[in-house]
Amino acid sequence: MTPKARFKGRVLVEGAAEGEAVVVDSISFYGDVDPETGAIISSGQSVSGRILVARRSRGSTVGSYVIYALARNGVAPKAIIIGEAEPIIVAGCVLASIPLVDRLPDEFFETVTDGSIIRVSLDGTVEIYEPGVKLE
Amino acid sequence: MHLTREEELILSGEMGPIKARALEVIVRVGEALGAERLVRIKHAHISGVSYANIGDAGAELIESFSGERFAVPATVNPIGFDLDKPGAFGVDDRFMEGQRRILRALKRMGARLILSCTPYEIPGALDPGLSTGDHVAWGESSAVLYANSVLGLRTNREGGPIALMAALVGRTYYYGLHVPENRVPSIEYIVPEEATRDEALAGVTGEIIAGMHGDQKPPRIKGARPWSKSSLKALLAALGSAGAIGMAHIEGVTPEPLPGSWKPEERVSVDPSLVRSRLEELAPGDPGEVDLVFIGCPHSGEEELRRLASLVKGAGRPRIRFVVAIPRALESAPHLRALIGELRGSGIEVVRDTCIVVSRLRGRVVATNSYKTYFYLKRRGVKVYLASLDDLVALAYHGGA
Repeated sequence: MTPKARFKGRVLVEGAAEGEAVVVDSISFYGDVDPETGAIISSGQSVSGRILVARRSRGSTVGSYVIYALARNGVAPKAIIIGEAEPIIVAGCVLASIPLVDRLPDEFFETVTDGSIIRVSLDGTVEIYEPGVKLE
Repeated sequence: MHLTREEELILSGEMGPIKARALEVIVRVGEALGAERLVRIKHAHISGVSYANIGDAGAELIESFSGERFAVPATVNPIGFDLDKPGAFGVDDRFMEGQRRILRALKRMGARLILSCTPYEIPGALDPGLSTGDHVAWGESSAVLYANSVLGLRTNREGGPIALMAALVGRTYYYGLHVPENRVPSIEYIVPEEATRDEALAGVTGEIIAGMHGDQKPPRIKGARPWSKSSLKALLAALGSAGAIGMAHIEGVTPEPLPGSWKPEERVSVDPSLVRSRLEELAPGDPGEVDLVFIGCPHSGEEELRRLASLVKGAGRPRIRFVVAIPRALESAPHLRALIGELRGSGIEVVRDTCIVVSRLRGRVVATNSYKTYFYLKRRGVKVYLASLDDLVALAYHGGA
């Protein structure tokens, strides 16, 4: 299977993951995401078991606890890809052992869509596949 | 990132899994920000400890670290209720139990449970003494601004969990306001004379500066007169809530000297009529609808309590609920205990350990002299007005401003 596109980001929390993308422009974990269900409150989309892609993050430091709560409740994203990671997200991802990659080129954010299949590798390589594709 | 041999050992688990995990958080966050090394800290102030905000997950996370003690003295921010009267704050058994779990865990780690956003108002809370230039890791934006701008301590605006991890390993990442050149101001703001003596005007001034100041460097603030402590607290709390600012370099206040050759890149006069008209905009339209007056954000200290006592002396009792939030520790000083007793005698409700921002203390319509309170309650959809302390006393005791 050949990816539609391949990019390289910076690894902040190491890990490999594959899954369907849920793409948002900006995320504040505290207030935006329900820690019990993993639902994004404004859109109803779930981050649970998906690869969360956000260009930006903002908001309260309580966000670290929300990320941890998502993992503890079994509804965490498989990985988080963000434009530029803030302390809140880095701390949350370390504590929850969620792979975290940032600093991908703009082209990545222009190419990825909701439902894209994404593969994150240990070295920060991020591959985008068409929605619905089954990876081996 | 460059780590010392000791830091490598901590990270490899030589000092146990808890310290290893705590240091990993600090190192990863530092790496994300581009820090090249860590710095030893002498104190931590831990915010984000209210069960209302962090819930069971937060309680569990803090408990999971509580098998180790803090490496440095640590103080703790307010919680969701006054420990002596949780019922008055609308907390149920689950909330109370969750909050007590958090406090027990912090206590096991050796925290001083001052439950206040103003550790600097509490004698002994920062012992052994801290001095200008010391590195600390503080959460709570208003305290961070006070530490950097007034005490000359060096801290970034640390998130609650990061201050906690920093306290466990006695280190944080060397970045931002820990680095001397990032503490040198850029743009100078000349503030109106009245702002130095009135909390509400100081808060609005802070809002206006935060709105204009897009620079990474601290703003330089020049006032026409020396600041009262309460106005200074209000200004700094406003800068911290309306903006992402972590320090202001204030003439006559900030202990660090400016470099000899320092000149502002730009000089801005904050127009006194703009400040007054902004405050008028936020003032109660119909004072009759206000049913809660709140002061004490940041927590009130001796200066504020004395002024309040002199304003309400002989005024009888307020016709609406009047609440002031203070650090509990003030009650242990006999002269302050008497002062607090006087306030209670004048019908003022004195609450400890908490404040309106982190608890469910609410009114239908709230009036306050704290811009920070205005900012947060407004965002939560509470109807809230800003006014000077004199006007609030007039409103509560005499039925009009």
